[in-house]
Amino acid sequence: MKKLILWLLVVLFTLAPLSGVFAGGAQDEAQGPVEFEFWTRETQSERMATIQVLIDTYVAMNPDVTIKLVAVDENDMALNMRAAASAGTMPALLEIDAEIAVALGAEGILDTDAAGKMIAKVGKNKFFPRTLDLFETGDIGVYYAIPYHGMTQGIWYRADWFKEAGLEPPTTWETVEKAAKYFYNPEENMYGILVGTMETESYDEQCFTPIAMSNKAGLFDKDGNLIFNSPEMKEAIEYYARLAKYSPPGPQTWRARDYYLQGRMAMFFYSTFIMDDLAVFEVAKGSLTSDNFAGLDGAEFDPDLVINTKCATIIDNKQPAGFGAVCSLAMPVQDDPRITQATMDFLTYLYSPNAYITFLHMAVGGMMPVLKGVGETERFLNDPKGVYSRYGADKIREINEGLDNIESFGIVEGVRIEAASTIYSKKIIPQMIYKITQEGMDIDQAMAWAEAEMKKLLK
Amino acid sequence: MTINQLQAPGSLLQKMNLEKRETLFGWSLILPAVIIIAALILYPIFYNVYLSFFDVKIMQENIYLGFQNHENIITDSAFWKSVLTSVIYVFFTTMGTAVVGLLVALVMNQEFPLRGVVRGLILLPYVAPVISVVFSWQFIFDPVNGLFMHIAYDKLHLFAERFNLIRSPQTSIIIAVLFGIWKNFPFTYLMLLARLQAIDRGLYEAAEIDGCSSWNKFWYITFPEIYFLLGSIILLRAIWNFNKFEEVYLLTENVKVLPVYTYIKAFTGIMDIGQGAAIALIQFILLIGFILIYVKRVLKW
Repeated sequence: MKKLILWLLVVLFTLAPLSGVFAGGAQDEAQGPVEFEFWTRETQSERMATIQVLIDTYVAMNPDVTIKLVAVDENDMALNMRAAASAGTMPALLEIDAEIAVALGAEGILDTDAAGKMIAKVGKNKFFPRTLDLFETGDIGVYYAIPYHGMTQGIWYRADWFKEAGLEPPTTWETVEKAAKYFYNPEENMYGILVGTMETESYDEQCFTPIAMSNKAGLFDKDGNLIFNSPEMKEAIEYYARLAKYSPPGPQTWRARDYYLQGRMAMFFYSTFIMDDLAVFEVAKGSLTSDNFAGLDGAEFDPDLVINTKCATIIDNKQPAGFGAVCSLAMPVQDDPRITQATMDFLTYLYSPNAYITFLHMAVGGMMPVLKGVGETERFLNDPKGVYSRYGADKIREINEGLDNIESFGIVEGVRIEAASTIYSKKIIPQMIYKITQEGMDIDQAMAWAEAEMKKLLK
Repeated sequence: MTINQLQAPGSLLQKMNLEKRETLFGWSLILPAVIIIAALILYPIFYNVYLSFFDVKIMQENIYLGFQNHENIITDSAFWKSVLTSVIYVFFTTMGTAVVGLLVALVMNQEFPLRGVVRGLILLPYVAPVISVVFSWQFIFDPVNGLFMHIAYDKLHLFAERFNLIRSPQTSIIIAVLFGIWKNFPFTYLMLLARLQAIDRGLYEAAEIDGCSSWNKFWYITFPEIYFLLGSIILLRAIWNFNKFEEVYLLTENVKVLPVYTYIKAFTGIMDIGQGAAIALIQFILLIGFILIYVKRVLKW
């Protein structure tokens, strides 16, 4: 019996690598039409439908190409990519944000040559320079991915409430905290501000980054040395923890923005993605009744919300800081050069004016062009829901140009620090914030924990 | 392969004695199953053990680390905390499902109108998709809009302030345990009900003639009859709940049972496969330890 089991194991172990050989052989010999996968982080069905329309249009013009659209949740993208890389089934095209692109790129998964060619093809000087910086490798002028669209983040607030209370707009540490305290009234089920405190959500870090940057607290110096454990950083964390006290109870994430739409909250950190929710009735209604609040049909939409809401895009303490994120199209390394070529052809189409604007219009507000001039075109401003026209061309240009002022832990004095992306994707800062605000851990202790975790990653 | 074929004249088999031939025949019958199990279960287990000794790289050669991955886990206080959370979670959900399942099965074993309908309805939590019931629970316990806070705080004034029952680290385990019991007791109920129906009525009649109380009937007839089934269900439930990820994580990320700890530690962001393999190995050893003790003590095999 022992012999039999041994024999079986031997057979199994010999067969396992063989199957790999067969699979590899089949790939090399493949001829004929090209087929590849496009992984998008747009998981909402309407957005997927828009992308599918673009794909269908392209495929109709290029019948030799088959493109399979796969939606992958933002938080699972790195994980799934890693699994796909191990399995040798990588997609040819990814829509991912800068931090994940750099983290994946640092592992050698992304094709920097192809990205460089694409950027040159679109025209390097057409991009907002800051958006390219975010994707730069350790070598100057070499990029992991091609910027595609971006959003800026700010504190959205009830300007009418602020005026009534005689409060200044929330643009500095002091004014934000004062207003958060003023409006926080849990007995009436009213809250001052929303900041992220959930353990595994990137949203926490998106809220925290501008606060840290405005206090001149970074993760790294320009030589890549970890300088996380600094007095400035501690101040920023203490401040953030104080703001968290004026948030709705318990760990919270971006979903809680619905409390604002219900008129239960005075301020919240959010990206320009919220613009359409504020402006358009159907959208806001859809948001209130979607996944999070099934059956909540009765929540009333406040048509004046868009007028009464203002956005402070920059927060100031020791220096002004803004935050935003740029999403890119990245090309994972392929064995078959024909796939890379086909992907680049498809990308050329995606950057053509009509396709580009169609893509951007699927998330009005949240997808700002990274190419100069596009945001000022009439076609772009004339979105199907009529949101941009409510804000006006000047306001839109201002928001669009905010992309050139994005602060990130990953760029120090113009130098791209790749390790910051690994720290971001491992969600160490969200975990630290959770420990402090929810588990009541002492700040020094939590910072020591975070620093130790960061050091482990940098090894 | 039939006995006749095995006995074909001149074959090697013919020279074997009957006992050996029977053994071989037995093996040939289970061989397909053995191969499938080896390929789908043993191979991944061994491969997992192997990976736990490496820093697994995607595009480069793996780096041998020795026991470093395992050491990282065992020296991490968060790991032991999650072991404790797991023990609490598994103990209360397993016992809860067993007790509730048993009580409901005893009641459903009585005659009453519409019994068939009620018996079916009880299965609902077990068959409903996790994701949809999770959202309902989250909505009920939402601190700002939820029904629970509305009744407990606004109407009944039970608490001094609103709080996040389902997400706060201090209270979320209570909800996770309640959810686990609610979701899974129908399984225990279903198994036990089937067994209860098979108990000979004559035993109860005899007991009644002897003047037994209801409690005595349960303790001396029903309980011994269902003891081993209940024991097996508890064992299965404990194993399942020990490895439970989706019900806990989807409901509330903050109950860090072992599988959730594994997810955060090894699979958040850039995946650390070696680390994940090491946790899985340690988790496997813990579980096997529990099963061996349980099987010896409770099931008396």
